[in-house]
Amino acid sequence: MKTRLPDHGPLETPKFWRTLEERVETLDAQEAAHHEFLPSAGPGAFDDVHGLPVQDGFSRRDFFGLVGAAAAVAATVACDRKGQGTVVPYTKRPVEVTPGVANYYASATNEGRRVYPVLVKTREGRPIHITGNDEHPGVKGKTSPRTLADVLRLYDPDRLRAPKANGRTLGWTEAEGQLQAALKSAKASGKAVLLVSGAVVSPSRKALLADLKAALPTLEHLAYEPVAGDGAEEAAKASFGQSVDVQPRLDKAKVILSLGADFLSGEDPESLGAWGAQRRLKSAKDNINRLWVLEGPLTLTGTNADQRVPVVPSRLAAVAFALAKELAAKGVSLPAGTDLSAIPAQSEVPAKAWSNLVKDLQHAGRNAVVLCGAQMPAEAHQAAHLLNAMLGSEAVSVRAAEPLATVKDLETATKGMGEGRYAAAIFWDVNPAYTFPKASAWKEALAKVPFRAWIGQVEDETAAQCQLLLPENHWLESWGDFSTASAAVLQQPTIGTLYDTKQGEDVLLDAAKALGAATADNYHAYLQARWQKSLPLGTSFAQALHDGLVKGEDKAASPAFKGASVAAAAKKAADSKPQGLELVLFPGFATHDGRHANNSWLQETPDPISKMTWDNPVAVSVQDAQAMGIQEGDYVSLSLDGTTLRLPAILQPGQAKGVIALALGYGRTTGGVAKGVGVDAFPLLGLDPASAHVRKGAKLAKAGGKKELSRTQSHHRMEGRDIVRSLTMDEFEHHPQGHHHAPEIVSLYEDQKFPDHKWGMVIDLAACTGCSACVVACQSENNVPVVGPEQVARGREMHWIRIDRYYEGELENPKVVHQPMLCQHCDNAPCENVCPVNATNHSPEGLNQMAYNRCVGTRYCGNNCPYKVRRFNFLEYTAYKTEPETLANNPEVTVRPRGVMEKCSFCVQRINDVKIRAKGDGRAILDGEITTACMAGCPSDAIVFGDLKDPKSKVSQLVTASRAYRVLEELGAKPAITYLADLKNPAAGE
Amino acid sequence: MKLDAATSAGDIPEGLLEPALTVGRVTPGSLDDQVLAFPETKPPKQWYFALAITLTAALIGVISIGYTFITGIGAWGNSSPVFWAFDIINFVFWVGIGHAGTLISAILFLFRKRWRNAIARFAEAMTIFAVICAVIFPLIHVGRPWLAYWLFPYPNQRALWTNFRSPLLWDVFAVNTYFSVSLMFWYLGLIPDIASMRDRTTSKLRKVIYTILAVGWRGAATHWQHYEKAYLLLAGLATGLVLSVHSVVSFDFATSVVPGWHMTIFPPYFVAGAIFAGFAMVVMVLVVVRETMELKNLITMRHLDVMNKVILSMSCIMGYSYMMEGFTAWYSMNEFLHHGFMNIVTGTYGWAGWVTISCNILIPQILWFKKARASYFWMILVAVGVTIGMWFERFVIIVISLHQDFLPSAWRIYKPTMVDFGVLLGTFGIFFTLVLLFARVLPVIATTEVKAILPDAQPSHHGDEHHA
Repeated sequence: MKTRLPDHGPLETPKFWRTLEERVETLDAQEAAHHEFLPSAGPGAFDDVHGLPVQDGFSRRDFFGLVGAAAAVAATVACDRKGQGTVVPYTKRPVEVTPGVANYYASATNEGRRVYPVLVKTREGRPIHITGNDEHPGVKGKTSPRTLADVLRLYDPDRLRAPKANGRTLGWTEAEGQLQAALKSAKASGKAVLLVSGAVVSPSRKALLADLKAALPTLEHLAYEPVAGDGAEEAAKASFGQSVDVQPRLDKAKVILSLGADFLSGEDPESLGAWGAQRRLKSAKDNINRLWVLEGPLTLTGTNADQRVPVVPSRLAAVAFALAKELAAKGVSLPAGTDLSAIPAQSEVPAKAWSNLVKDLQHAGRNAVVLCGAQMPAEAHQAAHLLNAMLGSEAVSVRAAEPLATVKDLETATKGMGEGRYAAAIFWDVNPAYTFPKASAWKEALAKVPFRAWIGQVEDETAAQCQLLLPENHWLESWGDFSTASAAVLQQPTIGTLYDTKQGEDVLLDAAKALGAATADNYHAYLQARWQKSLPLGTSFAQALHDGLVKGEDKAASPAFKGASVAAAAKKAADSKPQGLELVLFPGFATHDGRHANNSWLQETPDPISKMTWDNPVAVSVQDAQAMGIQEGDYVSLSLDGTTLRLPAILQPGQAKGVIALALGYGRTTGGVAKGVGVDAFPLLGLDPASAHVRKGAKLAKAGGKKELSRTQSHHRMEGRDIVRSLTMDEFEHHPQGHHHAPEIVSLYEDQKFPDHKWGMVIDLAACTGCSACVVACQSENNVPVVGPEQVARGREMHWIRIDRYYEGELENPKVVHQPMLCQHCDNAPCENVCPVNATNHSPEGLNQMAYNRCVGTRYCGNNCPYKVRRFNFLEYTAYKTEPETLANNPEVTVRPRGVMEKCSFCVQRINDVKIRAKGDGRAILDGEITTACMAGCPSDAIVFGDLKDPKSKVSQLVTASRAYRVLEELGAKPAITYLADLKNPAAGE
Repeated sequence: MKLDAATSAGDIPEGLLEPALTVGRVTPGSLDDQVLAFPETKPPKQWYFALAITLTAALIGVISIGYTFITGIGAWGNSSPVFWAFDIINFVFWVGIGHAGTLISAILFLFRKRWRNAIARFAEAMTIFAVICAVIFPLIHVGRPWLAYWLFPYPNQRALWTNFRSPLLWDVFAVNTYFSVSLMFWYLGLIPDIASMRDRTTSKLRKVIYTILAVGWRGAATHWQHYEKAYLLLAGLATGLVLSVHSVVSFDFATSVVPGWHMTIFPPYFVAGAIFAGFAMVVMVLVVVRETMELKNLITMRHLDVMNKVILSMSCIMGYSYMMEGFTAWYSMNEFLHHGFMNIVTGTYGWAGWVTISCNILIPQILWFKKARASYFWMILVAVGVTIGMWFERFVIIVISLHQDFLPSAWRIYKPTMVDFGVLLGTFGIFFTLVLLFARVLPVIATTEVKAILPDAQPSHHGDEHHA
């Protein structure tokens, strides 16, 4: 699988070639390129017709001959399309590669402590699309938007392509020699070596680090995840005496209380899957859970709440402890040693909601769960742990985990570096020069470490502070393993390394070897040897690799809750009073902690709530904005503890009064895409790990000026139109269609006929949380171009599927609904009859199809589309792209040029793929066999695609469901997409 | 002319007789000397000055269009959901401007309105130039202009055909027919005049050109007979086109589903609007022509008075149409239509709605006063107002309707770019450049037609019935 390209020596841009000749660059080939039309190809000294000697230069005939030849050559050359090269077939075809047929490999990746088992689609050896591994019992074939988009990072042109020392490119032997020499001298002198990496969730990586530690006893390792939530880490240590990983088990939850937890945001496919399963109701008699949300900023989870109360984050803990106290008063037993005497009665939640909430939790008991947001203060986490312990909740799994370094540990390390404690420092996939709040102090201290090495993919702020830069493999080029609650997961390379890079593990393994450890040759062997030992009987390593996992429940007992820890936390919570504006710093939807900031797909995916792209404006509550006279896009200055940022503001309905929220991961100073996008909010992060992400005493003032926001939705109300239907459970039971009745549609024309198939889709709005995984999945599948912030601000984003988000009711705490909107493939499509050149027309299978080649670009179809799902290539968005960027393209989908209209095709390439295979097998297409990218990517299974001609298909059954309706049905366009009304399950009497 | 001669003036009482269409003593000879002399003389400085300005504007337009070709439609402010903006606004605007010329030359000819003879030539030239400006837009506004010819149904090896259900295709035919018929009609009328110029000129070059253009016209009776027949036929053809072209253009909107576009009132409303805008432009230009080219005796205040009356009546039709739009929005109880109409008067672009209403409905009401109809100040004010108002009317129809249609999530504000303004300015530049060039090289007044309406040419009760 791994085929390393021949060494090119010093950095050479793309190591790809079109023909073997070009690759080999023989003298003959070069010669030929220069001398294609030499004069020697011209006539001889005698006129070939008359046999007369040519006097001087050309004869008339020769002249015309040459002119003719030149014209022919010019015409031929002009016909050659840009970038088109000779296609050379494999001389030795790899066994598993059939040109034109995709291969799928199981692999996995992680983001912090969360593991994503995935399935990687490769075409002709290059990974092009990612979905979840359907064999994994937890994720069930689903994954997160950021994981979906991570395939683009493999082809990031900014990747470092060879090792570098002090700006000089060098070979691996020399580079590793430098590192090993530094470590050896540190070992000899007994001085400490600092290694900072991300979270350790891989057992083999953990073992490797232990081996390295054995070989280098002075090694100090910090597992640093800047946005994992130091409060959670602190609370875990207090409540359980150790680090834990908290994973909701929503399949067992009837009542969920979220304290600012955003488990429906898309990064947790397991929770989304379980959520969807409890929301896709056929009848009002089916079980449905109830989600209570108490939070400051509006999160995606909050938008999906049945009951939501805005609460300032610093007061969450007091409210949660008061809840525990009240439950205790109602007879729920408290864990031994718990003291809640410091907690007064709460006043944040209105009395009626409060009594309902208490009742709900008490009734649900073991089926209730309290989840706390990673960024919330430590006390809130402790309160959540207490409540779960009291309720005996089965709907959450608490597993022991490797500890994470908090800002405090980083601060200690800074001090150590400043004092000259360390002989060497290695930064592996972390960027403290950017993420540490006191970045300049960090850099200053770092400069005092004599040897600084960096292992990573794209040179970042930390790389700029290091002497030795070691380029790392992308995870799609790497070996690895992870442990999850339900399976041990394997990571395998799906492509040979694109550049002269190495896995970080291999570098450390080599270092351990150089330091005298007896270990495997490389990490692959190391990993395999470890796995061979632990594989269950009858399973081979090859089989495990094929499946990507070995199933097996993690049987370790959950750590016990320590009641004695509560008193101090309760006291602190009770004393915590809001002071000034409260700033909540949360990981950016697109960027996370900044590691994804160079991914243009993610930068352009609208934030699921604010619908902002390419920016992190500060979200201000509507009440505060009105009081301060702030309007959408106004520049404000945000100051806290001597740090002041100038950035645009947006008004956020539903955000608690007195709270402002800002996304982390923006304002990077490196990376071709990331540089200069948004502002860096890390300097505002607190140094108190208990409340690093929730900061009191922030000040906001208008700074003058206004920014044109690159936002994909600027109108947020439905204006009373029947677009998204939302039912309470009561309405669902009694009159699911409400006052709406299907309009009578009369047409002069005959209905379309669909002889074989009629493709249709059903989208269940009750299951859709708005996580936007479908948007990224579609982008990856359909080569949807990225247009950049200026173009988005003008309304020229190209997404084939978008999530419309509407607010209803009062702005202080609105009801929020999400609606995926894509081409509705109308039977009477208004776009089709207005196209003067028939570029868009209807297939006999009900698809509204686009012939890009035929499109002239009048844009009339765009005007006449009532759903506004057609996208026009206003500028050239793709043709300028070169390798490696183009390698991420799906070869089955045309890349659209400038001046052409495009839109959702219902993934026609996937339909045809299945049709061809079914025909080959001589069978009918099975229901559910065809999945569109959005459907496959949807973690809550809200999207169902299938054949409406087949009465047994899932879609056929869903289109007649009582919640079913079609958007703008009265226009008579006969859309092929049916929506199922959203469901809310508020407590009785609310 | 034959038609005029057929009128038996003897039966008409003195008071009902049409007043003289020219001022002062005009003879066929003096008319020729007055009108056909322009191309012979050296243009005044002001003409060069004006041409420099219009050419600069045209150049800005050419540069803007070139820039658009290089970068794409993204150079303009168009976006989703406002896929059409200045491009189609300008197209409809210029097609509309053209309508006055055809109305004057064809319909008024069939209705035997003799006052039209003096202004028909100029108005018709303006038609041609306006349509030239208009056809620029369908060509440049498509995403891939190098493939714009695909809009024509021509046999091809790919066996691809156009979509005859698309109103855009109807547009292609309507505008092409309109342009070719207008051009033929105009050229036919020019032939006798060109022949006169051929006979008068002393310059060799001009002689050659005019000879070619005059296609052998000798003024023979058979020539006149054929000429009159062809002229009548083309007038009949063009009459239908006055009504059809803008009706078809309005189908682009009326047959769509966009609220604010999908209305049955659109065809007559568009035709009236076109005549309205066209007459305003003609008045504007004629005032200048009459003053600078010393044609006061031929283009009289009476002409302007009559045209102002047409403008006034069209303004009233427009007022009715606007009110009907509001009525439909209310009476239909359609929330989308209602929202669309409220947008015109109170929305983000409400100012554009009020500019339209003020310029098209309120200001022209001043023309009820005879004094205003006789005052350059008022008539120019109204004409400029109507030109602005009618441009904004198309802005209202296109941009306001599109920027907020069915799904509020897709609503978006539209902002034009400098390139948009460049192209708009450019078409004005091209239009007025052509007008200026026309005024210098061809007779701006159809001398043969005016000769027919000179007092001496009319049959009178004095028994002088030989003039024809």
